[in-house]
Amino acid sequence: MRASDLIHLLPELILLGGAALVLLLDIVWLRRAEERRRQLLPYVALGVLLVAALGLIPGGGDNVSVATMLVFDPFALFFKVFALLAVALIVLLATPYMQTRTPFSGEFYALLLATALAICLAVSASNLVMIYLSMEFLSITSYVLAGYFRQDRKSGEAALKYFLYGATASAVMLYGMSLLYGATGTTDLAGLVAGLSSGAAGQSAWLVTPAIILLLAGFGFKASLVPFHQWAPDTYEGAPTPVTAFLSTASKATGFAILMRVFLVGMGAASMASQWISLLVALSVVTMTLGNLTALRQTNIKRLLAYSSIAQAGYILIGVVAVVSDSTRIFTGINGVLIYLLAYLFTNVGAFAVVTAIEDATGKLEIKDYSGLVRRSPWLAGLLFIFLISLTGVPPTGGFLGKFFVFGAAVQTRMWVLLAIAAVNSVVAAFYYLNIVRYMFFVPAAEEGEPIRVGRPLQGALAITAVVTVLLGLIPGPVILWASESARSLLLALR
Amino acid sequence: MDYLRNFFVNLARSWTAWIGGFLPDWGVNLVNYLVVGIILVLMPVIATLTLTWMERKVIGRIQNRIGPNRVGPWGIFQAFADAVKMLIKEDIVPSGADKPVFNLAPILIAGAAALLWAVVPFGRGMIGQNLNIGALYVVAVGSITTIAVIMAGWSSNNKFALLGAFRVVAQLLSYEIPMVLSIATVVLVTGTMRMGDIVERQVAPFIVVLPVAFITYLLAAAAETGRAPFDLLEADSEIVAGYFVEYSGLKFGWFYIAEYGNLFAIAAITTTLFLGGWRGPFVSVAPALGPFYFVIKSVAVIFVLMWIRGTWPRFRIDQMLAFAWKVLVPASLANLLWSAIVLQIGRQPEQLGPTIVQMILLLVGNVAILAVTGLLLGRAARRYAAQHGWAGA
Amino acid sequence: MQQAIFIILALLTLGAALMTVITRNLLRAALWLVATFFGIAAIFILLRAEFLAVAQILVYVGAISTLIIFAIMLSRGIMDPDQVRFNGQWGVVGGFAALLFVVLAVIVTRVPWPAAAGGAPVGDAPADAIARLGAAFVGPYAIPFEVASVLLVVAMIGAIIIARERE
Repeated sequence: MRASDLIHLLPELILLGGAALVLLLDIVWLRRAEERRRQLLPYVALGVLLVAALGLIPGGGDNVSVATMLVFDPFALFFKVFALLAVALIVLLATPYMQTRTPFSGEFYALLLATALAICLAVSASNLVMIYLSMEFLSITSYVLAGYFRQDRKSGEAALKYFLYGATASAVMLYGMSLLYGATGTTDLAGLVAGLSSGAAGQSAWLVTPAIILLLAGFGFKASLVPFHQWAPDTYEGAPTPVTAFLSTASKATGFAILMRVFLVGMGAASMASQWISLLVALSVVTMTLGNLTALRQTNIKRLLAYSSIAQAGYILIGVVAVVSDSTRIFTGINGVLIYLLAYLFTNVGAFAVVTAIEDATGKLEIKDYSGLVRRSPWLAGLLFIFLISLTGVPPTGGFLGKFFVFGAAVQTRMWVLLAIAAVNSVVAAFYYLNIVRYMFFVPAAEEGEPIRVGRPLQGALAITAVVTVLLGLIPGPVILWASESARSLLLALR
Repeated sequence: MDYLRNFFVNLARSWTAWIGGFLPDWGVNLVNYLVVGIILVLMPVIATLTLTWMERKVIGRIQNRIGPNRVGPWGIFQAFADAVKMLIKEDIVPSGADKPVFNLAPILIAGAAALLWAVVPFGRGMIGQNLNIGALYVVAVGSITTIAVIMAGWSSNNKFALLGAFRVVAQLLSYEIPMVLSIATVVLVTGTMRMGDIVERQVAPFIVVLPVAFITYLLAAAAETGRAPFDLLEADSEIVAGYFVEYSGLKFGWFYIAEYGNLFAIAAITTTLFLGGWRGPFVSVAPALGPFYFVIKSVAVIFVLMWIRGTWPRFRIDQMLAFAWKVLVPASLANLLWSAIVLQIGRQPEQLGPTIVQMILLLVGNVAILAVTGLLLGRAARRYAAQHGWAGA
Repeated sequence: MQQAIFIILALLTLGAALMTVITRNLLRAALWLVATFFGIAAIFILLRAEFLAVAQILVYVGAISTLIIFAIMLSRGIMDPDQVRFNGQWGVVGGFAALLFVVLAVIVTRVPWPAAAGGAPVGDAPADAIARLGAAFVGPYAIPFEVASVLLVVAMIGAIIIARERE
């Protein structure tokens, strides 16, 4: 590692310093200060994220590898921007939420910055050692965040389930990595593909398929794919709502980013690609079907969004299996995944922002509590409507754009059966999403409530997510271009 | 005369040559391993027999008493009398005890005490096994003690024993960190983990180069072995005798042997790491002097530890943990950092041990760390005294 | 000779591991686990990986087992021998475990591992193995090494959050 490599690590270093700064500010200065000064902390965190985003610029355009551990390509850059955006939105969501619930919020923001750091490392990791470490880093931070309210039994349950499941999943994944290392003698992804396609051990069917399955346990856990999803509903329900929003967007996207990099770069050779593609097709079908069917029966909005998030992971997976190596095409599969994830970030964080606002005001999380919301707070109802139709995939929203690109890729690769199942699933999903809309607009409330007050940071989050969700549908050009460009660097590895 | 100059090594050579006359090669190796092993395993026993007498005499003098004076001249056979007493005592296993664990604990703790001796260099070439991970081995073996103590405390089915075991974990784990950090500083400066090579590369004793590491190690090691003022695991006035309260007879003796074996061992390791081991005047002419220097230095360290025991009151558990985490750990971290910086300045390839300039820089940094630590401690003490309204604050 | 030592060590380690699972008394199980760790450390020594062996003892015996034992001693009711050991799913789990064993056995025996084909390197490990390990930590593995330390800091903060006094 050379000193000149540090310029590529600038955002990571800023995030690390920023997390330490937030922690120290909280302990040394703000903890003894009055209440109003303490509220500055989330804005410090936002400032750190902004500076980190600026730190992406100097090394941004390059496509280089640092110390054979990290690779800085447009694909990684996409997810870094994604992570910084996501964490910034979560900070906005958390500001009023944490303020009313705990006097200790310093560590919360520091840990959120640490998750941004973990994601930045994970999405650019090009070595199994680094991938494992950064995923573990993200997981451990997330466990703590999920169990942040230690008196709240549900929060504790959320963290415990997440932890037990995550620890097992990462152990299983590590076993898969050890198999790959044993067969190839390297942990480097580029070396892996060479070793697997040349050595006798790598060619053995008894190695590659088990290794893929074991690796999928780890990636699938992060991306909440069935059958590695069992933690999701309870964790989503019990964790602090901003953390739930984080787990369902940024954390999930990291799982997908690593999955794509490992499978496309580390196992990109055609003989191996056919193996993981057929496995992922099965996972995709199971994930969306199970997610949607279970979501139908939910009465708690956080649980419903949890199952919906599982189902959405199934759709996103279609983009991965429909990958084509020709990067000049419009639908390459991977660009669909990126667009979908980006749209899903704004949509889902927006939906959770509305849930947070209502939870803050009423403390209620059941769907039937949303009845008559349009009379009580027309703005919130309208915004949630936008987010729900985007989740359903109705134009002109970002959700539609994502589905269009993912399904388009499936059409291109003629995966008709998968496509049909996905279409049926979308209709099923529309039913439960629009059910919430029905409650909000057409079912009168049992009792008249006060209008719901929304704090300024949350207003900001709602405005940003709603505007972007709609804009993605109206002016899709720049995003499509950006996603396709970012996907290209990964597709080059596929042969 | 020449034979005497390197007496111990020559003796070993003659011995090997002699048994080589009627044994095959593997037999010679086997016998030699056994002999060395037995000598090293006996070290804790020898330590117990001599050091208990020494301790009682020293503490006695500190407390203005004479100490043991009945059995033999100056009471030097007191330890043997005690040993005989212990051997003929009844072996009691409390009802409700977990018997196999109860019986295993003393064996394990004495075994750990004996294992330490494998890497102690008594002189040039006089080392059980010059392991390439010697310094780490010392720490690892020390951690076995923790398990043994927990086993003893838990299997006794006695609440005082269990309380003692609880205290052990907090104490041993906390003090392991500054101990490892101070050993790491020495390893960093010498560039080796072999205990033999650490002595070879110690041109000046590290006590004058790295005083912070020396003090940290000595205090942490005293805590690791549960010496006063860190003897909370067996604080007699609070929890009777702590984790080994239920043991009697020979099994109690094993704990005793482990305690004094460990005391001698940490003194030996302190000597190796910080006092130049077997180095001393005329050692290059007569290497046989090495072991004598080594033992003299070790006994000096033991005397200091006894002196501390005789003069300091026992810590409270929170004070003790705070001392480890808030004083020893930061000071030794700062020391490690400074050593790394100094060694990077003017580093020569293939350098063995620090240069004179580096040693001076290290000392300067150490003195600065000591001064800052002392200053901060003094301020904290004054604030504490003021809070409690003590006079003279 | 080495083969014989390995077989003895492996049997001891596996025996201790088996006892860990089948002992009713949880604390005894933890102690058997310690024995297993010692067995693994011994196998490391046999493989001439002294550093790993010592690290194994230091970390697993010195720290992890201590924590496990501590957790057991501080948990109520967990030491009760009348406690039900199996829940309703034991059959399924057992089946899966057996299946897993078969699959792993097949993987280990069927895949032509490069290490097995070339044979294990003979002779002593290089004298500067530790130095090389250290150099790797600050050389090619510098970033993972740093990330691991940041991870530990975060874990420590998390522990403090979970263990702090009630608000």
